[in-house]
Amino acid sequence: MSASDVELDRSLVQPWVPLTSLVLSVLGLGVSVYLTIEHFTASTTLACPETGALNCLKVTTSEQSAVLGIPVAVLGLVYFVVMLVASLPILWRSGHPAIRYGRLAMAAIGVLFVFYLVFSELFTLEAICLWCTAVHVLAVALFALTAIGTAYADPSDL
Amino acid sequence: MSKRQRDSREYARRMKLIQERATARRGRLRVAYSAIGAVLLVFAVMIVVKLGSGAGGGGTAPSALPTGAAAAEIIQGVTTVPAATLDAVGKGGAQVLPSPITGQPALTDGGKPLILYVGAEYCPFCAAQRWPVVVALSRFGTFTNLGLTTSAADDSYPNTPTLSFHGSSYTSQYIAFQGVETTTNVRKNGQYEPLDKLTDAQAQILQKYNAPPYVPQESAGSIPFMDFANKAVLAGATYSPELLESHTHAEVVAAIKDPNSQLGRAINGNANALTALICRITGAQPADVCSSTAVKAFQGEFTNVGQ
Repeated sequence: MSASDVELDRSLVQPWVPLTSLVLSVLGLGVSVYLTIEHFTASTTLACPETGALNCLKVTTSEQSAVLGIPVAVLGLVYFVVMLVASLPILWRSGHPAIRYGRLAMAAIGVLFVFYLVFSELFTLEAICLWCTAVHVLAVALFALTAIGTAYADPSDL
Repeated sequence: MSKRQRDSREYARRMKLIQERATARRGRLRVAYSAIGAVLLVFAVMIVVKLGSGAGGGGTAPSALPTGAAAAEIIQGVTTVPAATLDAVGKGGAQVLPSPITGQPALTDGGKPLILYVGAEYCPFCAAQRWPVVVALSRFGTFTNLGLTTSAADDSYPNTPTLSFHGSSYTSQYIAFQGVETTTNVRKNGQYEPLDKLTDAQAQILQKYNAPPYVPQESAGSIPFMDFANKAVLAGATYSPELLESHTHAEVVAAIKDPNSQLGRAINGNANALTALICRITGAQPADVCSSTAVKAFQGEFTNVGQ
């Protein structure tokens, strides 16, 4: 085998990562849009769920449903819009550190916020909102994917 | 240096580079997988701690309730609202009305039209709805052993003062009533403790009518749920528990007796709406109730509700 037969891997990310992260971001954005609409309109449903532990209304109308006056649903919406843009394949192919580490930092912030929200649901509110849980799962999956995708290559090596 | 030697050196350099990059990549991925593992570990710890604390925890205790003569006075007050007070309120604050349904088999108990209520003591919306239900039903019959309770201390609108149908009975010559409270307002192992068990017949009614097309999709499966002899259904409260916030039971009864108070207008107005609906079901019996100003205020409503 000659030296010219040895190809160096110059890809910045695994091929399946950009599309998967894009799909997760779109799903997260969809659920966030629903929760945001619910936040501003659904309080007109004056009813309780039949089971006390699964109680979206309790979660989405609690003190913890807003941070500095901004509804958490809106923060989630903004987060997934940013992640959607950052997950575009063209940006995954960019070696610019601000894009690569900015995306990773954003994903990490999302997970830290999910820690706070899950803690609030389990220990402060003692109620679970399934729609919120879907968003939490998507945010954690996005973080995992972003971490794996970012770790795949170091642009300075290429 | 021959071409062959140069090629060989280049080959070795590239192979070394590939190995170095592979080692560096493995290191970076190890860090990434560790970070993911740490995230999952945090969630696992939270869930384990929650399950562990839930095993012995009983949740937040609801607020203290009136007893003895004070409790009896409250029950007496809510079950004997003067007709003049209800007439003075008329429609009051009633905005949400039960939805009529047609073409369903009559729901009866002992030959009388049956009104079914399904709720739970923890639920603040059930807490709000019981006041007008009791005011209205007390015009057609008599409750015994009505209880006093509050909604859960750890739910939205905590400690909303209310009544409980658990352990109560109702007699009327016009209608039958079944009130089911599925849970208490206190948690055990993270869940509100079960209270009344739905009979098979009640469960079937709930399954069929607490779902579209009889109730809106967003209310489906929710409580409080009421079935008015299969002539109309209601999923959810007809006014907000916010109005009852920070009130004691005695203050609520005082408001019910005052046709000018906001709370009294909300409770009595909704009670009048339920009374007007029940009058359609009983064929305008009893006459004095069903011809009252309070009922006439809803003359244009429930016109398609048959006997």
